[in-house]
Amino acid sequence: MTNSGTYSAHSAIDIPLGDGRKSLGTLLGLATRLLWRDWRSGELRLLFLALVMAVASVSGIALFTDRLEKALLLESANMLAADRVLGSGRALPEEILDEAKGRGLRTARTLSFTSMAFSDAGNMLVSAKAVSAAYPLRGDIIIADAPFVRGTPIQRGPQPGEVWLESRALPALGIDVGDSVYVGEAEFELTKIIIAEPDRSGGGMVDNAGPRLMLHMDDVERTNVVQMGSRVSYRFLFSSEELLQLDEFEAWIDDAYEGEYRLRDVRDESEEVSEALNRAESFLLLGSLFAVLLAGVAIALTAKRYSERHYDYVAILKTFGCTSAQIGFIYLWIQALLAVAAVIVGSLLGWGVHHVILRALQAVISVDLPSASFEPFIVGALTAVICLLSFALPPLLALRETPPLRVLRKDISQQRIGANIPYLFGVGGTIGLVYWYSEDFVLTSVLVIAVASIAILLSGLSFLLLSSSGAIGMRAGSAWKLAMSAARRRRKQNVLQVMVFSVTIMSLLILGLLRSDLIADWQAQLPENTPNHFLMNISQPQVAGIEEFFDEKGVQGNAFYPLISARVLSINGELPDPQDELEADEDNSTVARGSDTGAEEEGAEEPEEGQVRGRLSRRQVTWAEEIPADNRILAGEWWGESAAAGFVSIEEDYAEWLGIELGDSIEFEISAQTITAEVSSFRSVRWDNMQPNFYIIFSPGTIDHLGATFLSTVLMEREQKILLNELVQRFPTIVVIEIDALIEQIQNIIAQVTSAIELISVLVLICGALVLLACVNATLDERFYENAILRTLGGGKRLIMTSLLIEFASIGFLAGLVATLGAEASLYYLQEKLFGQDFHLHYWVWVAGPLLGTLVIAGLGINSTRGVVSISPLNVLRRLN
Amino acid sequence: MIEIRALTKSVPTSEGTLTILKSVNLEIAESEIVAIVGASGSGKSTLLGLMAGLDAATSGDVLLGGHSLAAMDEEQRAVLRGQIVGFVFQSFQLLPSLTALENVMLPIELKGDSEARAKATALLERVGLGERITHYPNQLSGGEQQRVAIARAFATEAKILFADEPTGNLDTATGAKIIELIFDLNKEFATTLVLVTHDERLAQRCGRIVRLVAGEIVND
Repeated sequence: MTNSGTYSAHSAIDIPLGDGRKSLGTLLGLATRLLWRDWRSGELRLLFLALVMAVASVSGIALFTDRLEKALLLESANMLAADRVLGSGRALPEEILDEAKGRGLRTARTLSFTSMAFSDAGNMLVSAKAVSAAYPLRGDIIIADAPFVRGTPIQRGPQPGEVWLESRALPALGIDVGDSVYVGEAEFELTKIIIAEPDRSGGGMVDNAGPRLMLHMDDVERTNVVQMGSRVSYRFLFSSEELLQLDEFEAWIDDAYEGEYRLRDVRDESEEVSEALNRAESFLLLGSLFAVLLAGVAIALTAKRYSERHYDYVAILKTFGCTSAQIGFIYLWIQALLAVAAVIVGSLLGWGVHHVILRALQAVISVDLPSASFEPFIVGALTAVICLLSFALPPLLALRETPPLRVLRKDISQQRIGANIPYLFGVGGTIGLVYWYSEDFVLTSVLVIAVASIAILLSGLSFLLLSSSGAIGMRAGSAWKLAMSAARRRRKQNVLQVMVFSVTIMSLLILGLLRSDLIADWQAQLPENTPNHFLMNISQPQVAGIEEFFDEKGVQGNAFYPLISARVLSINGELPDPQDELEADEDNSTVARGSDTGAEEEGAEEPEEGQVRGRLSRRQVTWAEEIPADNRILAGEWWGESAAAGFVSIEEDYAEWLGIELGDSIEFEISAQTITAEVSSFRSVRWDNMQPNFYIIFSPGTIDHLGATFLSTVLMEREQKILLNELVQRFPTIVVIEIDALIEQIQNIIAQVTSAIELISVLVLICGALVLLACVNATLDERFYENAILRTLGGGKRLIMTSLLIEFASIGFLAGLVATLGAEASLYYLQEKLFGQDFHLHYWVWVAGPLLGTLVIAGLGINSTRGVVSISPLNVLRRLN
Repeated sequence: MIEIRALTKSVPTSEGTLTILKSVNLEIAESEIVAIVGASGSGKSTLLGLMAGLDAATSGDVLLGGHSLAAMDEEQRAVLRGQIVGFVFQSFQLLPSLTALENVMLPIELKGDSEARAKATALLERVGLGERITHYPNQLSGGEQQRVAIARAFATEAKILFADEPTGNLDTATGAKIIELIFDLNKEFATTLVLVTHDERLAQRCGRIVRLVAGEIVND
């Protein structure tokens, strides 16, 4: 024997020690075989399923949003007949068009003006539009050979010498296709009927003053109608398949003309569409974030369970000579193989999911979808890798630290990595993933704060509840006592479990509530019977006649609002001092604000006046006895039926802009007279409802004597539109503005967006169900074991099932309650900050949330643990040993 | 083959340090069959764990096949275990997700031996389970599971076999058969066998009995 550490006394037994290195092939082969054996035994299925769901939901949603977004933009681009539009009341510089062509953009030009059209039998005011050969750049003109039929799409306008007319102009002019039409000094042949025009809803007054007459750009000169001072709308249209090209061009215009000209896209053109698109994008993003988050939690849970079940595995591998490094390598390889398989299967599934969504949407998506890019698959694959790294790697790597002594003493499982480190990894990974995915600080912070608050709240609440639960039902043998002591024993796990359940239920609640609120909001914005025509310039004596006309024809007319142009002169005797540019002041594009469109134009005629004066442009004001629908009083009181003269109600933002207080005395200039009124209320106005809305409403008797014209709205179905001819013939001075095409387009887009939202909700629901299942399964072994022992000790089936039911139901109730709290708080933040909606409490959810939690968790739990009483205790114990 | 020098193992408990093994010295020669006996809590399993390099001692050393365990970290001990040590456990320690064959193949595969399947099949036939190689542990009786574990222990042709209460979970008749099997294979493979047991009849069949009481050898 020596002290050298070498056993010389028995040197005959030569036991040379190799370096223990195993060839890469050996390790890879072993890891692959382990993976296959685990897979076969079902150990890996839930983890794999969670990974696949993460990849499938993320790539599916990303694919879908990618294509849907492109499609929605395309569809909405139809509203402009282009991707970008430059419009002006003055002739536009030709070099803009040249520059665009030089950059490879497609271009077209239009020119709109009002004119009389004549035929041999009659005449009528038309909204004429001259278009260049390339028009329309996006969308189709629908034309037909006869009026009031369905028509076929075409992607060009009329040839020189031809005009196309909207159906209802034909009876008014007493002509048919093939007859002559005169505009100004030129004669044209009517060759086609316009059934629909892509950018019909755009434009201003000149585009909405009468039925459309379309002619070729080259014929404008011949008519001699457009002259100096004519009211004309010039438009340049641009489009490109490359978004970047458009953006660069936009930047060039900004630069070259120092902001004098600004390109508009569909989001500028229609506030309603832009808002719907923005909200849909936010919702889809939120939905996929929840999907990632939930799939991540499912991965974390299943990986943890997987690694717990592998302690013995690793201990045995170690007794057989596997080093920690080799164990680490084996599990890394298993994960890598899993990731690759999950990415392949998940991507395929994601592709399938997005196809199912598309098929479901076929009815509402009318345009051909652009092909998908490869990016969503990369996003999906990266999600899988990040999920694995942050959720699954820590518990699996902790396996390396499993002491081999565990083969002798099962109670040993100390790990050098603290038990909470894996969670920190997961939390870090989640935050990173959410931020990377959304690039949205608000969304990320809402999610992080919501989940963190839930964690803190729950730890405290659960601790209290579970600690005090011992006092409940102390009767020996009672199921309550059993359940509560079980709940107390697993306090740490239970708090975690309640947390996971809460976060899951909360995600589903947030998405569900947001979905119904958004849809309800859109439905309220443009309900079924939204009036789709504005009648303007109606004189007092015509009101009764028009009402009679509608009655006679069975058309649903609406209230008549007097309209008169007014300007604020002073507030409490002082010159008003407006704050920054009022947002609404810039926007004169929507017909919904038709009430102030005229005012803007009048204002524009006096640009040389002082700055304040210029910004205090004239507004179309009204007086009313009843408060208009969709308006709400925010402060002060609306005058009742016994309204006294001399009061005025102001829209909230306008009042704030001018710094008006309740009770202020405001001087107005109306029809060259000065009128003073006291501010009696502030109102909120729903600007997006496509109805007449007013900043300023006077009480009856205040300005009635100043002579006003009237404005009304009417709902006319497509087949009723021909009545417009009779209406304008009988009342030739009135102006009809047709917004039916616009409303239809917006409703169409909103329908698409709604379906998309519904489908995303379903996807997230599936992810949520997966998490719940994984979470129940996570503590399954222990419950099985404990209850098998209970049964061995004589616990009846009934007692055990009742105690399990109570335990799961209590956890579910708690989770549901906390989830409701978290959902409402998050919704408040999301709706106010991100979706621009007014938040209101959802009272029914306070009942439904806890109830849902109780039922779902109890149901899932009992379903998963049923085996406890149906399998013999011996088998359970044997299976777990 | 095994030399134990002043081996001490203490663990911290809530009531202070508990010394499980108190300066134990022991030598075991090649091919020797040694039973370590003692009451529950006498430290015999701890001694086995330390001898086999599954755990590190508080002080003292174990020379296993000429290699000082005290000088090794867990990684090096793992390499040593993989090359010269085999195990049979009271609770069998078969992996439930693997079949009998795969359980026996595992340590052979770990050595990178491409003959794993053939060797494992031969061993399972040798222990009388040739017909049940595709069965999972939960489809086998306790005795059968222990036979699989024995086949696995001899699979790597280990020089030293450690058996921790190999009959502890078995009835007397089955236990007797398992003991026969271990002794037979031990003879065939010329292995050094260290058995931990509190079964006196089993101990009597071993060439040497080491008795532990409260962490000290009282009888050798």
